[in-house]
Amino acid sequence: MQLNDTDLIIKAQKGDQNAFEELVYRYDRNVLSVTMRYAIHEDDAKDLYQEVFIRVYRGLKNFRFQSEFSTWLFRITTNVCLTYKSRSKHHLKVSLENHYQDDENEFNSKEELIYDGSSPEEISSGADLGEIVNSAVESLSPKQKMTFILKHYEGYKIREIAEMMNCKEGTIKKYLFDAVKNLRKKLSPVYV
Amino acid sequence: MKHNEYKKLLQLSLFGELNSREQTILKEHLLTCEECRNELEDQKNLLELISGKKESTVDDKVLSAARYQLRGALRSEQSNQNIFSSTIDTVSQIFTTPLKFAVASVAMLLIGIIIGSQFFNNNPSEEIVVQNGNENRFASLEESISISNLRFIDSDAGDGEVEFTFEASRPVHLKGKVNDPQVQSVLTYAMLNEQNPGSRFNSINAMDSFGNVAFDDDIKNALVTVVMTDNNSGVRREAIKLLNKSGYDELTKKAYLFVLLNDSSSAMRIEALNFLIDAAKNGHSLNPNDVNLVIQKTNNDNNDYIRIKSKTLLEEYN
Repeated sequence: MQLNDTDLIIKAQKGDQNAFEELVYRYDRNVLSVTMRYAIHEDDAKDLYQEVFIRVYRGLKNFRFQSEFSTWLFRITTNVCLTYKSRSKHHLKVSLENHYQDDENEFNSKEELIYDGSSPEEISSGADLGEIVNSAVESLSPKQKMTFILKHYEGYKIREIAEMMNCKEGTIKKYLFDAVKNLRKKLSPVYV
Repeated sequence: MKHNEYKKLLQLSLFGELNSREQTILKEHLLTCEECRNELEDQKNLLELISGKKESTVDDKVLSAARYQLRGALRSEQSNQNIFSSTIDTVSQIFTTPLKFAVASVAMLLIGIIIGSQFFNNNPSEEIVVQNGNENRFASLEESISISNLRFIDSDAGDGEVEFTFEASRPVHLKGKVNDPQVQSVLTYAMLNEQNPGSRFNSINAMDSFGNVAFDDDIKNALVTVVMTDNNSGVRREAIKLLNKSGYDELTKKAYLFVLLNDSSSAMRIEALNFLIDAAKNGHSLNPNDVNLVIQKTNNDNNDYIRIKSKTLLEEYN
């Protein structure tokens, strides 16, 4: 009979490596899917995946079942992704400007990513559509990008994303609206 | 409701986030508002364009490689925890018992004495010299919190002895039989954690040169971790050679397969392939999934020897 998450977690907390491995295998495809969407480069995505499960391994003994394991796991995943710095800086320039966000009463950093390729002219000149879409998603700020990936590609509800990213639903909606607005701006030459 | 509010509803509807009441409100508004109908059409087009890239990006091979790497990292994590957990547990127990105030007072006193001695005593710190048979000095190693800067004085274990210095809470100079479990414990720690690749290499080499390593689980796990994760190919190669001497089992098989399928160094891939061929000749088997992975990966290997030799491997396993 297949054990549920709670049983596996209790066994893993007692040092059962097989139980931990079983737990990893239940969710790791979804985690890797998110990290691959987020990081684009495969090596970076695998590094993020590894970092997530190392943190889970370290933190599991203190897991007190106050949330679903999957929620806790994806909260770690989003944290790891949002704090990640790519091995290859490639073509993105980041300017950071801290600002106080009234509606959340939290101090956030506003990352304004400027993609310095693919002007509308270049886009309309017939570059690969997939790459253009990837570049546009890549050009979003980390929180906008993470919200958009979790919502659009992974299909999570806004309520679930808010739990994963540890903020209010209203904030997630704002990230989502801003993401769509920015994507429209970037991609308007290829879909209008 | 303001026009902008409808626009927000419109976006949420595209993401399937409206309840039935909100859906009705939006539907009624769309009947009378051309701007919002155009907006809806526009956003649908946008999301359709992006959905073209929506299919799952997780390839089985990538997932399998990520799992292998994770296993290596977890083994390294476990080795570190094994070394430190008893010390940390002891310390944490002290600080969670009613004795904590007494312990804190004694600790403050000791800190005061240490700071005072730094001010009034100009003698450089004395090295601990540990030699064979000096059990009391040797035991002090177990209390050390970290080991770093391991430097070999004599890494040739032909005479059964190695000699090196390293830093724990303070510099330690150690000389002992290479097959001594405590010497091996330090060498195992060093091969995993030393910053200097030369020291990692020498640690493995010292264990190897005596030719009489007692391969317990810690040493074997450490070697597998080095084989799979060390960033220096020379260190990885030394580790895989020593690992091969530990005998063939499920763990070593996985390590060889990982190297054959993922290592960037062709020399490493060749070593792994040869070890797998030797194991096959000795009657060991691979499961069909592993065989398929080997076929897929080695067919595209840029090294001629690997492409040809992998056929020998598959013939042996068939």
